[in-house]
Amino acid sequence: MTGIEAFTSDCPEKTGGDYYERIAADVLQDMNLLRVISKLHVSVDPTVPLFIVVGVIRKLPAIVKVHDFASLQVQGNRITLSIGNESYLAPFLKFLWDRYGKANVEQPDRWTVVLTVPEGGAEGFEDLPVYDPREDIFRDLMYAMICIQPEGFKVRKEAYVDGKFYFVASEDTLPEDVVERQVREKFALIGEEL
Amino acid sequence: MILEPITYKGGLYRHEEMVELIEDLGGYIIQLQQIAGDIIILALVPKEDLDLVRGIAKPINGQVTVSPLVGTEIAVVSMSLEIHHLPHATCDVAEYLRQFGAKTNVIGLARGFGKRIAQLNIEERDVINEHDCAILLYGNFEECIRHKNPKISRGITVPIIATGGPDKEALMKCIDPPVEGYVGGLGRLAHRAKRPEELAKLEEMVGEVSRVLDLRRTEIFKDPLSVAPPRLMDLIIEKVEAIHEVTSPTPITVQMAGLRVKLPYEVYADTLRNLELEQGVRLGDIADVSPSRMRTYIWVQVRPFSETKVMV
Repeated sequence: MTGIEAFTSDCPEKTGGDYYERIAADVLQDMNLLRVISKLHVSVDPTVPLFIVVGVIRKLPAIVKVHDFASLQVQGNRITLSIGNESYLAPFLKFLWDRYGKANVEQPDRWTVVLTVPEGGAEGFEDLPVYDPREDIFRDLMYAMICIQPEGFKVRKEAYVDGKFYFVASEDTLPEDVVERQVREKFALIGEEL
Repeated sequence: MILEPITYKGGLYRHEEMVELIEDLGGYIIQLQQIAGDIIILALVPKEDLDLVRGIAKPINGQVTVSPLVGTEIAVVSMSLEIHHLPHATCDVAEYLRQFGAKTNVIGLARGFGKRIAQLNIEERDVINEHDCAILLYGNFEECIRHKNPKISRGITVPIIATGGPDKEALMKCIDPPVEGYVGGLGRLAHRAKRPEELAKLEEMVGEVSRVLDLRRTEIFKDPLSVAPPRLMDLIIEKVEAIHEVTSPTPITVQMAGLRVKLPYEVYADTLRNLELEQGVRLGDIADVSPSRMRTYIWVQVRPFSETKVMV
């Protein structure tokens, strides 16, 4: 699969395993997630039934801060922001409304935001975090996993830890030691440790 | 008279000549569809006149192809309506069958997914049983198909063609009770079937469906129907005024042994039952007119000659 260093699968039924490898490749390609993943292992065991995906995510873009997309002018407790990149404007406005209240946030035109902040609020304003791309990528990845898994696997467990993620799903209750034993075993197959 | 199912594809220009020819030869037009400047006619024509039809089509740039599935209504049963099963491969199968003249209905089961939890409810079963055959689109694992098939196929009385990821031999081994047709290598996909080997599988599926339906046709031929469904369709179009008000692309769907009339049952059931077809023979005498489980339509099942002793 293009862009992924290691892509493996295991399944008691060879034909079924091959199909799931293809399904995983198609879904990840459709959702534009191939460039995000560096290693991936898909495991399906229809006899249990159990579906496990483990993977390693490439280095992700850093958290977007105010100075990454806007320049600001401070006049007392009023901050005038000139937006350079509109991509982050929606999460930015939401962040401002939550922090300062709608009454203190004005947007006279598309590219300008005027803000009234409390005394001393302008200090370090430009370094405030606005958007974390990792959250979106993890959410997209988990949605992709739900699309890949056999349908009807409603019992799920997923996590993202230090650039590694796992997704476990089954039709029945998950075994208690699924993460401790089986997920770790699958990580070992791609040369990683949880 | 043996009727051959055909598809005519041509331009709008002089297409009425083809319509008239089919009618004059004693054939039946099942569906006439106009798409911009193109005309597609699904029809049944006498087998011995096929060359004549081809000859008339040639100068008006029309194409006549034999479509073995014209006049059949097929249920394409998807295990659910979620992204796992739609649009691929369910729509690929449904669309491919339409190319051969079949009228396909995709039926998405409410709880068809899963190995242990799969089930078929009564309404789904009844809707499937109103078709000429059902294609059950299973997934990629033998283990799942083995558990799932007895639950999904229970109560289905029409011929079943099962498709799935494992090859045909593996499917035949794991499906118990056995079904009428098997197509292996056609399981769950996440992309549109477009590679040559995938198209070959769809082709194989059409062949299997045709084989199963031919067996059914042979059975019907042994004890012929009291009236041929296409002829009954023509009679209803001629005698029931309200059918012309129906906006559906096929106000009457022709099946191998019946019709689905897209008029409300409560209002028109008695009109149909009392419809005089020929010299005192009423439709109710030679067919069962019952409410369809599909919307409020009417489902007409023609009885065989051995039961009615009448041939229209």
